[in-house]
Amino acid sequence: MKKSFLLILLMSSVLIFSGCRKKEDVIKIGVVGPMTGDQAKMGTDFKNGVALAVEEWNTRGGVLNKKIVALIEDDQHDPKQAVSVANKLVNAGIAGVIGHFNSSCSIPASDVYNRAGIPMISPGSTNPQLTEKGHKGVFRVCGRDDQQGKVGAEFVINKLKLKKIAVIHDKTTYGQGLADEFKKFVEKDVEVVYYGGVIQGDKDFKTVLISIKEKKPELIYFGGIYPEAGLLVKQAKELGLSVPLMSGDGTIDPKFIEIAGAKAAEGTYLTFSPDAKKIPTAKKFVEDYEKKFGELGPYSIYAYDAANIMLSGIKEANSTEGRAITEKLHSVEFDGALGKIKFDAKGDVTVAPYIIWITKNGKFEEFWKP
Amino acid sequence: MFVQQVINGLTVGGVYALIALGYTMVYGILELINFAHGEIYMLGAYLGIIFLGFFTAIGLTSYSLPLALALTFVLSIVFCSAYGFTIEKTAYKPLRNASRLSPLISAIGVSIFLQNYVMLTQGATDKVFPHLFEETGFEMQGMTFTYIQIFIIVVSAVLMMLLNLFITKTRMGKAMRAVAQDKTMASLVGINIDTVISVTFVIGSGLAAVAGLMVAMYYGLVNYSIGYIAGIKAFTAAVLGGIGSIPGAMFGGILLGLVESLSSSYISPEYKDAYAFIILIIILFIKPSGLFGKAHEEKV
Repeated sequence: MKKSFLLILLMSSVLIFSGCRKKEDVIKIGVVGPMTGDQAKMGTDFKNGVALAVEEWNTRGGVLNKKIVALIEDDQHDPKQAVSVANKLVNAGIAGVIGHFNSSCSIPASDVYNRAGIPMISPGSTNPQLTEKGHKGVFRVCGRDDQQGKVGAEFVINKLKLKKIAVIHDKTTYGQGLADEFKKFVEKDVEVVYYGGVIQGDKDFKTVLISIKEKKPELIYFGGIYPEAGLLVKQAKELGLSVPLMSGDGTIDPKFIEIAGAKAAEGTYLTFSPDAKKIPTAKKFVEDYEKKFGELGPYSIYAYDAANIMLSGIKEANSTEGRAITEKLHSVEFDGALGKIKFDAKGDVTVAPYIIWITKNGKFEEFWKP
Repeated sequence: MFVQQVINGLTVGGVYALIALGYTMVYGILELINFAHGEIYMLGAYLGIIFLGFFTAIGLTSYSLPLALALTFVLSIVFCSAYGFTIEKTAYKPLRNASRLSPLISAIGVSIFLQNYVMLTQGATDKVFPHLFEETGFEMQGMTFTYIQIFIIVVSAVLMMLLNLFITKTRMGKAMRAVAQDKTMASLVGINIDTVISVTFVIGSGLAAVAGLMVAMYYGLVNYSIGYIAGIKAFTAAVLGGIGSIPGAMFGGILLGLVESLSSSYISPEYKDAYAFIILIIILFIKPSGLFGKAHEEKV
């Protein structure tokens, strides 16, 4: 049912494209993320972050004396769809792309952009694989899961001083990648009593939680995104399994608390970068963003910086030619809302700060710094 | 742990069975696989959230929660039945004498339409069921059961018993069985086929509405695409039990729930969705008509 629908969409998109490939005097950049579906919130944050950056550049007269247009595409957090929209954007003649969100989408899509020589900056894909493939034009402004998993493991070992934990993941590139990195670092000092995967999009995790409860861990680590994380803590509480959950950057979203209920979400630990509202360089961005779109999303600032970096790259290169932009992105240090950003040879940021957050009274708060 | 997993399996299985009944009843009478049935279940969940939101706004939930919930159930059933009725009249009835593939394709069309209709009107993001009551339960020998689980199991069982009584004891039930056996003959003895078909759709949709609403209460999370996988699972349950057979659908649904629950706890949860289909393949190998499906059994 779903497949046939996708096919129809794909076919109609081909028709739409062949009709509109005329040359226009604008610079196009692509924005891709999950714009619909259960992770639509993240996609919307991308869209808004980039929109703000583009608007600021356009009021300053655009880049290379041309207006900037952001082409928004939806990958539905589906790797197949990600490749198809990547091809669509390449055909539309974009100068660069801001996206995708899910590592499972970014990695296959990066092959498409790489083939076309178009630079890509991901605001939120943290799986190490993305920049380990050797694609020169692939960058990310967020950290990597091996860095994130390590901070989480340090917290469990040094601060909480736990002995037995359970590790689960959602079998996606991001979720399993993060859980595996965490497990690798934590295993030396802590016993992992349960390790296994659940199905992304499933609603019933009671069977897994009962198996976990038997093993009596002191903490459950979950590599995955907020809808599943929310249901996990909710159902754990229903089963009388009252150990804290720890998760990564994919869970830090107000929807997590909404799904779980404030009571069940209380005390959940999350690894994420420091609060954007407390970064001195981000003050103006936060004000402008909140005035325009309301509450700041966790990835809004990353999308904003990614867009600014891409546009600065185009400006520095004085060209919309992909290889020239890539060259500049590798060599120049950017002043972003997040602070100074410089990419290393792989395309990762040189400094990736991760800290531990906690859920308290229905809100996320900074809790511990390594 | 075993007992607790069985309770979980029964909860999920009861829901599958309620949805599977809709598939099997329609198939029994029209020999049509109503692919839009999963979407009725999804609509039931959404309507529940909408009505409950409305009752909260007018202050009924704080006045009497059980009354508000009961009204929500009734309204969801009424609306979903209306959807089922309308779908049959607009999408299937005009094709009743067409080739068997045409209504099937029409059903897929209705399913796609309903999914997108809900996505456009209600938004693509997850909807959270209001946290109206504490998800409490009781403990027994180290096992924890929630009241909502017990509620789902009891409601499913009662509805299935009522349906059985309806089919076997009432005039309309008799008419349904007659139509399922032979449409032409039934019309010759004075049974109004159109009415019987409409009643089948109304009952099936009502059961799906209850299933949807209970699932929304149980998990607290709903989105426009939940009907797809639930529909596929329930369809599997119906085939497992022998499509067209009512006890088959009930048994198939519960079996499926138990298999999922037990296999994912004793083998591995990673392939939860696969176990159901493995069982289906095994059973179809041994008995191609399904567990309860006999060549000459009464179908409805």
